[in-house]
Amino acid sequence: MAGERGWWMAGTLVPVPGGNGVWLGHDGSDDATPRRPGHKDNMACARRRFQTIDTASPLVPSCPAARTGGTATVAAASCPHRPIRPPVLHMQWQLARPYQSNGPYLLTPRSNGGRARLPPRHHRVLPRSPSSPRSKAFLLSTEPHTILSPPRSRSTATAPPLSSEAKGFASDASVAGDDETGAVKMLTKFETKSNRVKGLSFHPRRPWILASLHSGVIQMWDYRMGTLLDRFDEHDGPVRGVHFHATQPLFVSGGDDYKIKVWNYKTHRCLFTLHGHLDYIRTVHFHHEYPWIVSASDDQTIRIWNWQSRTCVAVLTGHNHYVMCASFHPKEDLVVSASLDQTVRVWDIGALRKKTVSPADDILRLTQMNTDLFGGVDAVVKYVLEGHDRGVNWASFHPTLPLIVSGADDRQVKLWRMNDTKAWEVDTLRGHMNNVSCVMFHAKQDIIVSNSEDKSIRIWDATKRTSIQTFRREHDRFWILAAHPEMNILAAGHDSGMIVFKLERERPAFSVSGDTVFYVKDRFLRFFEYATQKEVQLAPIRRPGSVSLNQSPRTLSYSPTENAVLICSDVDGGSYELYIAPKDSAGRADYLQDAKKGAGGSAVFVARNRFAVLEKSSNQVLVKNLKNEIVKKSPLPIATDAIYYSGTGNLLCKAEDRVTIFDLQQRLILGELQAPAVKYVVWSSDMESVALLSKHAVVIASKKLVHRCTLHETIRVKSGAWDENGVFIYTTLNHIKYCLPNGDSGIIKTLDVPIYITRVIGNNIFCLDRDGKNKLITVDASEYIFKLALLRKRYDHVMSMIKNSQLCGQAVISYLQQKGFPEVALHFVKDEKTRFNLALESGNIQIAVASAKEIDDKDHWYRLGIEALRQGNVGIVEYAYQRTKNFDRLAFLYLITGYMDKVGFMCKIAGQNNNLMGQFHNALYLGDAKKRVEILENAGQLPLAYTAAATHGLTEIADRLAAELGENVPSLPEGKSRSLLIPPAPLTASGDWPLLRVMHGIFEGGLDATGKADLEEDDEAAGADWGDEDLDMVDASEVMANGGDGFDAEEGDANEEDGEEGGWDLEDLELPEAETPKNAGNARSAAFVAPPPGMPVSLIWTQKSSLAGEHVAAGNFDTAMRLLSRQLGIKNFAPLKPLFLDLHMGSHSYLCALATAPIIPVAVEKGWSESASPNVRGPPALVFTFSQMEDRLKAAYKATTEGKFPEALRQFLNILHTIPLIVVDSRREVDEVKELIEIVKEYILGLRMELKRKELKDDVNRQQELAAYFTNCKLQRVHMRLVLASAMALCYKQKNFATAEHFARMLLENSPNEAQAKRARQVQQQCNGKKDSCELNYDYRNPFVVCGATYVPIYRGQKDVSCPYCGSRFVPSVEGQLCTICELAVVGADASGLLCSPTQLR
Amino acid sequence: MASPDLLFNLRNLFYLGAYQAAINNSDVPGLEADAAAERDAIVFRSYVALGSYQLVISEIDSSAATSLQAVKLLAMYLSGDKQDYTEALKHTHSGGTLDLHALNVQIFIKMHRSDYAEKQLKIMQQIDEDHTLTQLANAWLDIAVGGSKIREAYLIFQDFAEKYPMTGMVLNGKAVCSMHMGSFDEAETLLLEALNKDAKDPETLANLIVCNLHLGNHHHDISAS
Repeated sequence: MAGERGWWMAGTLVPVPGGNGVWLGHDGSDDATPRRPGHKDNMACARRRFQTIDTASPLVPSCPAARTGGTATVAAASCPHRPIRPPVLHMQWQLARPYQSNGPYLLTPRSNGGRARLPPRHHRVLPRSPSSPRSKAFLLSTEPHTILSPPRSRSTATAPPLSSEAKGFASDASVAGDDETGAVKMLTKFETKSNRVKGLSFHPRRPWILASLHSGVIQMWDYRMGTLLDRFDEHDGPVRGVHFHATQPLFVSGGDDYKIKVWNYKTHRCLFTLHGHLDYIRTVHFHHEYPWIVSASDDQTIRIWNWQSRTCVAVLTGHNHYVMCASFHPKEDLVVSASLDQTVRVWDIGALRKKTVSPADDILRLTQMNTDLFGGVDAVVKYVLEGHDRGVNWASFHPTLPLIVSGADDRQVKLWRMNDTKAWEVDTLRGHMNNVSCVMFHAKQDIIVSNSEDKSIRIWDATKRTSIQTFRREHDRFWILAAHPEMNILAAGHDSGMIVFKLERERPAFSVSGDTVFYVKDRFLRFFEYATQKEVQLAPIRRPGSVSLNQSPRTLSYSPTENAVLICSDVDGGSYELYIAPKDSAGRADYLQDAKKGAGGSAVFVARNRFAVLEKSSNQVLVKNLKNEIVKKSPLPIATDAIYYSGTGNLLCKAEDRVTIFDLQQRLILGELQAPAVKYVVWSSDMESVALLSKHAVVIASKKLVHRCTLHETIRVKSGAWDENGVFIYTTLNHIKYCLPNGDSGIIKTLDVPIYITRVIGNNIFCLDRDGKNKLITVDASEYIFKLALLRKRYDHVMSMIKNSQLCGQAVISYLQQKGFPEVALHFVKDEKTRFNLALESGNIQIAVASAKEIDDKDHWYRLGIEALRQGNVGIVEYAYQRTKNFDRLAFLYLITGYMDKVGFMCKIAGQNNNLMGQFHNALYLGDAKKRVEILENAGQLPLAYTAAATHGLTEIADRLAAELGENVPSLPEGKSRSLLIPPAPLTASGDWPLLRVMHGIFEGGLDATGKADLEEDDEAAGADWGDEDLDMVDASEVMANGGDGFDAEEGDANEEDGEEGGWDLEDLELPEAETPKNAGNARSAAFVAPPPGMPVSLIWTQKSSLAGEHVAAGNFDTAMRLLSRQLGIKNFAPLKPLFLDLHMGSHSYLCALATAPIIPVAVEKGWSESASPNVRGPPALVFTFSQMEDRLKAAYKATTEGKFPEALRQFLNILHTIPLIVVDSRREVDEVKELIEIVKEYILGLRMELKRKELKDDVNRQQELAAYFTNCKLQRVHMRLVLASAMALCYKQKNFATAEHFARMLLENSPNEAQAKRARQVQQQCNGKKDSCELNYDYRNPFVVCGATYVPIYRGQKDVSCPYCGSRFVPSVEGQLCTICELAVVGADASGLLCSPTQLR
Repeated sequence: MASPDLLFNLRNLFYLGAYQAAINNSDVPGLEADAAAERDAIVFRSYVALGSYQLVISEIDSSAATSLQAVKLLAMYLSGDKQDYTEALKHTHSGGTLDLHALNVQIFIKMHRSDYAEKQLKIMQQIDEDHTLTQLANAWLDIAVGGSKIREAYLIFQDFAEKYPMTGMVLNGKAVCSMHMGSFDEAETLLLEALNKDAKDPETLANLIVCNLHLGNHHHDISAS
């Protein structure tokens, strides 16, 4: 296609040598028609502009005068801006060089005092003006400083005539079609309708954007809230350039009124105006560091201004047509500019910077002098980039790399590279159908964004240099682009407004599972553990081909049990990838299998090993297994555009206007809810509540989609998560907010940048930011926890929060009031009037009184009185009336409450106050007729007084009054029955009315009872740790002093058990039949032959093993007994019977399967591991283990320490009985088992002797002997000390001083405690040198063992026999008898030895 | 879309051993004739499972549907207390319904022929992989063959626990798996929960004893205390 077009282009060119023919056709007249067809404003203003220039200087408009046909041929030789280039250009260079010697052609651009004049320089400056200072750069260089376009196969010829066929191009565009999917919708964040937007600038931190309009207005918008913040309307005519300062509250604008204005947006004032440019100003930009502004103007200059001194510090001349844009390099001392002279220029402003950095006055002056003398030393042109065939509208630097991108009227975008010495064209991006108006590198992605008058924005891959996306508008040409300095947002201005948009979604795909969040970042699947806050890279995921934008993962679904991850993206119009990570391979990406892929709108796990894929075309879901095979298809009940997990086996289907929960197995709709355009679904961890997030709303519903509440937000809702208490925490673009179950919501925190909440744990909010980084935000949760506690009526929480935290503020109070908790609010308020109101509202009369006292005005007392009356609190009512001196009410109150004496008092007061009426009233209340008469008389109402007196039968007074009245005695009515006016009986005779307890009860009580901290008292761990040597288990010395013997203290219900256990012997053992399966094949139908039964696991156990324990577990008691007999000489199995039964019973678990069918016993095997292969049988898991034996040994030691000898003996015996049945895994453990037998045996011998000793009441010698033999047993030190102390005491008492002294010495050698040592030393002192009083069969100098049956010493050299199992020694006469120590084996029997580990057999 | 499966819940309750719940929830409105017959069969089988043989025998008269007659026969057979399960294979081996296949799986497991059981399970999975019975049979087999499969069986029971009401059967299943994986503590918790639901359930009691033995509470200790 390109080739074809190229050929065609070349074809048209051929007939017009010199290349100007193309323009000739259009601009053939002398008229300086602006070169932009279709720009109405340009047409109009062009005329005006040229007039301006003409008046300013009588110059030929400009170099591109080549446009005028008359000069075409001349220009062809001298002007570099001709359409056809490569060969000519080179030649032209040769031509150009000689001119360099022509001396400076420079026109000084300096102006005085910032008042720029149009310099007399608008002569067509020769292309590479040989001005000496400026040409330094390239004079030193051997390379030409222009760019030699590499020869291209494609024609670089100009495009077809650019006439006013905007519409035609639009249709062309559609015909030309696009290589990319044009259907992708732009991610528009904000859009305005206005006049044509020519300039845009993002605020670096606030969500603001400036838009300068063709109408002359500058608008400042908040694009997050979508509101117009301000407008600045001082420019006369279009404002084309506008820019925010990076740090100051300033922005700069430049317009067609030649003015540069610097504004303070806070004060809404234009601070000053910079004059100097002589034509329209195209762009203005602040320097990121220095107080500079660079401006580009149609007067063909670029100027740099110091906005602090408000002067122009440099004028960059060189362009010979309108300069369309100029901007600073983000880091280096460079400026790039684009001009309609078809070049892009890079300027070195190093000198200017140096001057600014060291502005010592003299140097400054000197340099300035130089500048004045030699022209623009401050800024010299470094490179001139030639290659565009038409005027260049825009050029900008790459933020980090030495690259420049430019866009021009030749519809091309060019990419340039530069190094220290030269710059060259790298590539051309073709695709725009009309003038490219603006182009820039994306700061974070490797892409180029350009826009054009062809009504499109194009996105290019900067590496591959291919077009990856095109966004079109129907009617609006694009004029300007702006990128946010920090965030991934762009803005574009067009004919009827502007748009703020994003190229890619920034929400990382994530899924929370248990304590972990899985997410995608930088093409890696990662997870993050909340507990450890550790981040792990799990696996790389497929990189989508950059054929289009927004191909990154959109959603992620995780199955924890299978460790499988589903990632959905828009690749290929919606597809998913399934990754299964092997267990325990965290971070070992190399082990990850290839992803399984498939197409589908969305895919989620619906069960451990099933996921559902939405097939939009047929509106059904495919349920697939982990092999990516379809297991089931299910049509969906509503037209679904996305599916979400909603409990095992259920899907939440989202349609345009509602969601449903659909049970895939039952094909039932479980719930449905109207909720428009849901975007995200967040389940609570108990799956009881769900939050549906849409763009501007949060809907909370139950698991059956029963609506609970809806919150509407004015700005976008971004994410959310449930906290442990059932509060939904969510984020909007700029807030973290909460939503309580009743729908109350509020702001928790303001955000600078959007975040995506993944998990809320208490005060900690975990989230992902847009870069996929996990962050922890700690917030103050007290407000919503408080409200939640109120809501749930957890007043204890409420109280403790009131007490402990700093909850305060009007918001909380009004919330409490609104929600009907004035009594709670009361505790927050200090202001007395509010307190009073709240107290009245909550009926807390005490506080109301206190407040009323503080306030002390009539109105409050009055209101208090009303409330108190309502409550029946007469005392307060009285008090309130008294305070307000409301005597009438007070008197009436006294009347009805029966305080007649007080009424009388009131009467008196009324009299003092000359309140006749009140006095009379009170007298009426009192029922005091005499008083009334007196009052009437005193008031001069004698007739009335008379009447009253006569009526009430006060004849004396009546007569007296009648006498006074004389003639005027009124006649009393006759014939009427009279009744006395008697006051009513009081309602209550005493005090307050019985009051109801009002609701403040809980709070009152709770708040008053402060400081009742319920500290749990730590229970001291009671009970003796047997190993604790300091712990004196029996106070031996005390016992000794009492003459008792050491261990008797706690002798309990001793020895009966021994006798009972003796009853078992071999014959009694009724062993259950071994569970060998019967042959199943006895009854079968002819047609069907059932398979022979397989081998039960228990049979496998016995086949392999010669360990008695395993035979017992398998139920083969007979073989087990035979084994024990052979290995250990065991003949008495009675003690083993319960152990056998336990062992067998614990060998199988029971699985109930189908109803009424038999239960399946399942063999419990040992050493299960996740990786064990099925069908490979392990040995049985025995219920007895060696570690249990160790525990029991400790228990037995403890019993010994506590002196519970029968109990201890029982426990030691139990160990000894169990050992033949245990199985251990290693040789080392076998040795430990043998050691254990040795230990236990010694204790059993010792304890048996001790018990025997206690039986002997009379034979004190034998008692001493047995005590002495006990000291011969190998015991723990703590026990040895006790045994020695006991023996010592016994011998001392029997006056066997020598032996006692021996024991005392031994005791001292065994690190006794203080009391023991003291006692031993006392004994030593007492016994010193004394002899035994009687002979004992005990010679401690001669080593011996004690016979386990007869308890006599067998001295070294004497003959003995031993037990084949426990190894106890006996005198020969015992041979053939049952061992009295272990009670199992026959003394002296043949045996092969203990076998307790499979390792012994290998 | 296909008509909803109205008996789905009822069947699951029955399979998972919640017999009383199955009986209580059997009043499903809007059933077609076939479905109603199936419903009745489930209800009567639940009664059989609860041991109410006489009720079933007396309730189902000769005019009842064939499937119910079969249930009645089952009740009569069970009430006769002559159980020869190996004979069963003769009648059930041909399979046909998932119930029968599940029974086969169970019998083969009893016979320690997990290879045969696996074949039966494959058939079930082809019919309906996600059916409760298939899942159950899968779990039984997993437990029977042991090793890494125990984990899968556990997960199947776990799924049931999430999806359906907890029954003694599910709890026992999880407990058995736990025991086989060596987590007797967890098994004990589960079994105690099962015991709360039904203090007389023999499987629960049996498993609880096994579990306690492994936890070191031995026979004589228990009897001593």
